[in-house]
Amino acid sequence: MTSTSAHREAPARPGAQESPVSVGRPAAARDREIPDLVHPVFETISLSVSYGDYMAVRDVDLKIGERQITALIGPSGCGKSTVLRALNRMNDLIPGAHVHGRVSYHGQDLYASHIDPIEVRRRIGMVFQKPNPFPKSIYDNVAYGPRVHGRTAGLDETVERALTRAALWDEVKDKLRQNALSLSGGQQQRLCIARTIAVYPEVILMDEPCSALDPIATLRIEDLMHDLAREFTIVIVTHNMQQAARVSDRTAFFTAEVDEQGVRHGRLVEYDRTTTIFGKPTDKRTEDYITGRFG
Amino acid sequence: MSATATRARGATARTLPAKRVRWADELFAWALRLCVGVAMLFLAALLVYVVVRGWPRLDGDLVTAYTSVIRPETAGARAAIIGTVWVIGFVALFCLPTGVLAAIYLEEYADRERWWNRLLELNIANLAAVPSIVFGILGLGFVARMLGLGFTVITASIVLSLLVLPIVIIAAREAIRAVPGSIREASYGLGATKWQTIWRQVLPAAVPGIATGSILALSRAAGEAAPLLLLGGLSFISFDPDGLFSRYTVLPIQIFGWISQSREEFQTLASAGIVVMLIVILAMNSTAIFIRNRYQNRR
Repeated sequence: MTSTSAHREAPARPGAQESPVSVGRPAAARDREIPDLVHPVFETISLSVSYGDYMAVRDVDLKIGERQITALIGPSGCGKSTVLRALNRMNDLIPGAHVHGRVSYHGQDLYASHIDPIEVRRRIGMVFQKPNPFPKSIYDNVAYGPRVHGRTAGLDETVERALTRAALWDEVKDKLRQNALSLSGGQQQRLCIARTIAVYPEVILMDEPCSALDPIATLRIEDLMHDLAREFTIVIVTHNMQQAARVSDRTAFFTAEVDEQGVRHGRLVEYDRTTTIFGKPTDKRTEDYITGRFG
Repeated sequence: MSATATRARGATARTLPAKRVRWADELFAWALRLCVGVAMLFLAALLVYVVVRGWPRLDGDLVTAYTSVIRPETAGARAAIIGTVWVIGFVALFCLPTGVLAAIYLEEYADRERWWNRLLELNIANLAAVPSIVFGILGLGFVARMLGLGFTVITASIVLSLLVLPIVIIAAREAIRAVPGSIREASYGLGATKWQTIWRQVLPAAVPGIATGSILALSRAAGEAAPLLLLGGLSFISFDPDGLFSRYTVLPIQIFGWISQSREEFQTLASAGIVVMLIVILAMNSTAIFIRNRYQNRR
């Protein structure tokens, strides 16, 4: 493993290791040129998800751009996590969950009967709210994805590259055989990101990846997201509006609506470039939420 | 509330009251100690009693010699020890894979909305409560006679397996259920299949619980005499049981046989046999604890 380290590329963002909160952070992603959504990676058309009889989220139309960071924000119970989990068929694992409408991935219906959900999750990786490394060594955590897909050739390099990409290599290179649970919370979450990268997905879904982390660890993950967005399409669910404003190119604002029968449903209120959502939102509810006047 | 009243209350609150004995707390703690003490006392009394009574016969012959009806002073439990090893070995071979796989089905595959799965669960719990002699009757009628396996090691193993299978299933289910869902999600999220998730993540994480439950179940099987009395477990075997279709005896039956004899030397021999049996069971339980600690430390 160490023999390859001499040849590897320098970490994509040198400096990230030295200072956890780099002063000269890259300009927020929203200052980048954000292309229009001509060929979106995902397109949902009146997507609704129900758990048993309960419709959790209703009629969501969303397009997600390639190599962009899309943030899904909104109050608790607005269905943003449910929408995220519909994008890689994680909802399949919840008994009683049902997806209505269409989710297309590069034009293919993700829920068509001939689509293999295993392959879907391989292309569309996921990072969860609470860091959830396997109770195994750091190496085995990263190697798990390649191993279950039978790609064991050059495993050491894959592991090293993934850890480097997740800005964790320098911290763990001497203790790859140590148990992953011995790492700090922020390191564990970066390990989970590395584990996802090792599968070479096209998309990384992140479900409130920083909600269990302290502010410094959060900033490191945010830096990492900017960096990863050059290569991956990222969709992130977050409670933290500042985070959405800092990292995302586009923001979708969800809210919970109460219908005639008094049942709450998640709805997509507004979706636009992050600058627009936070600068001049068109919907009153969005404005109330981002200015903190939400009830 | 007026300003003076507030100040007065504040003043009392600043003086900390002296420590006092809380009788209810003390009483409760002592009641707990008493309960633990009773359990320990019985165990200690049992151990002391059998060791003292069996002391003259705790010798080499006890484990190397065959039993005898005429010379109890040199008789031993050789055939019974080997028989126990054979029977329990096959019980482990039959019931551990079956029990663990059944538990995987019930926890990971069975849809609890379906009535037959709920019926299945209920009946496994019922099965665990069936008296062991009933399994003996079933074994006699079905395994020994209908299947024609006779009074052999395999008959005993099958019946004891059925007897402890529910215990293994229940223990394995608990262990599998205790594996956090986040580990399963992580595995699926990386594109692993259901089988890979279970085999590579869920089962290894559940090993400590499964091992503990399984060995306790095997200890229970090793201590059973009642069903085997109906299944031809003899108290007089003077050869080494040597396979699945061999006649056999096991330690509890050997002890039972010795105790039924009237001569004093057999009583001593029985006590010594009990010591051997306790050592066997203690060794099995220690193995369980060892496996559990080993796997827990690896986390």
